[in-house]
Amino acid sequence: MASLNATSITFESSLKPSIGSTQVTGRSSRSLISFGLSSNGFPTLRSSRFRVSCSATPQTVEKVCEIVRKQLALPAETELTPESKFTALGADSLDTVEIVMGLEEEFGISVEEESSVTITTVQEAADMIEKLVQQKDKA
Amino acid sequence: MQMHCFGRKLCCSSYPLVPVSLPSRRETHFWYIVPDEIKDESLLNRYLGLLSSGEKESVFRMNGDKLRKRALLARALVRTTLARYTQVSPRSLKFKKNLFGKPEVEWQPDEKWDPPSLHFNISHTSSLIACGVAADMPIGIDVEEKHRKTRNNISALARRYFSTHEVEYLDNIPDSEMQQQEFIKLWTLKEAYVKALGRGFSASPFNTFTIRFKDICQSSLQVSKNFSSEAYEIVVEALNDSEHLATNCQFAIFELGNLHFAAICTQKDNITQGEEENMLKLKAWKTIPFVEDECVSETDTIIPISGLA
Repeated sequence: MASLNATSITFESSLKPSIGSTQVTGRSSRSLISFGLSSNGFPTLRSSRFRVSCSATPQTVEKVCEIVRKQLALPAETELTPESKFTALGADSLDTVEIVMGLEEEFGISVEEESSVTITTVQEAADMIEKLVQQKDKA
Repeated sequence: MQMHCFGRKLCCSSYPLVPVSLPSRRETHFWYIVPDEIKDESLLNRYLGLLSSGEKESVFRMNGDKLRKRALLARALVRTTLARYTQVSPRSLKFKKNLFGKPEVEWQPDEKWDPPSLHFNISHTSSLIACGVAADMPIGIDVEEKHRKTRNNISALARRYFSTHEVEYLDNIPDSEMQQQEFIKLWTLKEAYVKALGRGFSASPFNTFTIRFKDICQSSLQVSKNFSSEAYEIVVEALNDSEHLATNCQFAIFELGNLHFAAICTQKDNITQGEEENMLKLKAWKTIPFVEDECVSETDTIIPISGLA
């Protein structure tokens, strides 16, 4: 009967999960480990547990958020975090491809078809961008 | 106290779901909701009561009231629509995902009743939620706002994501308004195709198949100057079509109300032959489940563009 109380009128329900739990369920199991460079240039092995603190720079995440905000015309008060899922923000498939194109333009990278469908959150987009930028700089 | 009142209210405002016969082989049913028309909180709560706990969680994971309402209405539309064709209550329907993640009904075993082979697919925009239903064959639908403005240039989008022929088709349209409209129409057809296949976008990237308009009279493929003509049949050609899924596809596209394009993709009915049978029969309803249904099939709410009988 808690559920009946939770169906209260303005959807401000206690059922609303926190961003944290969304993160857990939304986490993809494809790439639990990602390779990258730490700040002193040595390769590091990162596990997904540390993903939030050790991966894409805050500036990259910020830029991604900006592009997502613009594409989805999000109101200023909408909270956007690295774990925010595009679909939860109302993005459909055309929005997603436009976001990818916006990111390609902003960062001067080229995203493969297979990769573009696997980006579902701000963090995933930022991580992929960093990886592609690093590859590009090495070339 | 609260529970009791809630229960009583349900009974008073109860309007049963009007049952509907199954679509015939050549027929597609199309049900849609206009979210802005549904504001009654008790009705929304009633819809919420139809959902499984997993669906409720998904609804509340959406960011903001508007998106939550939309997610709620989408699930309520699927459940109430499918319930119309069966003896099953909307709340008791169970769903599963196929191998590739496409949602399907999971009929509960019952010796007294042979569940129909019902296929469905949903699509929504910020102002419309639609559910297509077909019997015995897979279905994919897509709705888009006609005047949706893309942030990127149409040519750039097409070059990045569409096939060569589609890029050529769009490039040959001099008027930018028309080009935008044709892009949206192509997008809905391509989406409907991928969703009908049910294998996910990664299995059928947009640039691996082409939507073309075949001149019915001449039976030759050509880049159409005017897409919006009944003399043309919409066909799809896939780079890798070993299972002949593309050749078996049937499309229809129409204008819905003033604001939307809607595309449907199902399988051809290979049993009945003849040109007339190549057209899809459409029955469409605007609905507020439990409140009212309005059949819009023969009205000017539906303006056929191509593929409809």
